[in-house]
Amino acid sequence: MSTKNQDLENTELDTQARQIAGLLDAHAKRLSLRTLKQLENGRERAVKAHAQQVSGVSVNHDGTLNSISAWAEQHRIVSAGLVLAAIIAGFVIMQSLSHRESSDAFLLSADLPPEAFVDRSFEPSLNNGKAKL
Amino acid sequence: MASSQELSDFLRDVERRAFKQTVYAVRDDHAALDIVQDTMLKLAEKYADKPVSEYPMLFQRILQNTMRDYWRRQKVRNLWTTLLSSFGAGQDGEDDHDPLDTIDVEDESDNPMVQLERSQTMVIIEKALEKLPARQREAFVLRYWEDMDVAETAEMMGCSQGSVKTHCSRAVHTLAVILEKHGLGSRAISQLGVET
Repeated sequence: MSTKNQDLENTELDTQARQIAGLLDAHAKRLSLRTLKQLENGRERAVKAHAQQVSGVSVNHDGTLNSISAWAEQHRIVSAGLVLAAIIAGFVIMQSLSHRESSDAFLLSADLPPEAFVDRSFEPSLNNGKAKL
Repeated sequence: MASSQELSDFLRDVERRAFKQTVYAVRDDHAALDIVQDTMLKLAEKYADKPVSEYPMLFQRILQNTMRDYWRRQKVRNLWTTLLSSFGAGQDGEDDHDPLDTIDVEDESDNPMVQLERSQTMVIIEKALEKLPARQREAFVLRYWEDMDVAETAEMMGCSQGSVKTHCSRAVHTLAVILEKHGLGSRAISQLGVET
């Protein structure tokens, strides 16, 4: 019995809620002209932005073109590829620079003078000396 | 993908409701207008590729999030206002009255008595709605005004269906008690000629 009463009360509350919502809806239709005009402006701006999105040109809120970010947004895979390529290129350059640094360090810290490594006849004569021994 | 015309029709259909819902939540007409306009732009810019059938949910979600952002910003601003208010603030802008602000459109040619009763009832309902806790108001608006089902409302609010039912039940109960206190029972509201 109490469950039945509870259900009845819930149904009544539900009906009342819908009546209140109906009143609110009716009241929402009666806005001032100024408000309606501003809503219309907002809607027009949104529709314009939508049309530009669809046509592939993005425009910022202030009306300026946002070509780079718009391009990146629309070509996500390509832009991700470009970023990856830039990272790899940076890595390769860093590696070659560090290799050059280590060879410079080797030349400077070796027992032989640097000219010995430049002289082409030095290595064959060194090898001949080894063979004679 | 929705066409621009479909978007325009959709926005025309929801903009007034969205504005009033935002006014009840933020209690500031200008802020509410900004929020609704911002929501429209975000929908158009970020979801241009979505079909129009997804717009109602997306629009409501953006609207609720934009309202939350507004509250967050407002919290910080209020802190500064409270700190600086002791230095004395004038009542700026109170004299600025524009007749356009008070001219209503679609003023139905109802019985004047019904119109008067309806506007009085609306004042009571609006005040009651503003007094509701934010989550209860959100649940009520989405469930009954936006006519979403419990599952959709729960998804929108990011909570369980049980929570939605609880929020709705409490909200409706509170509203019913307030209306009853003013002698506005279910029968009185239905006599105001609103279809449900």
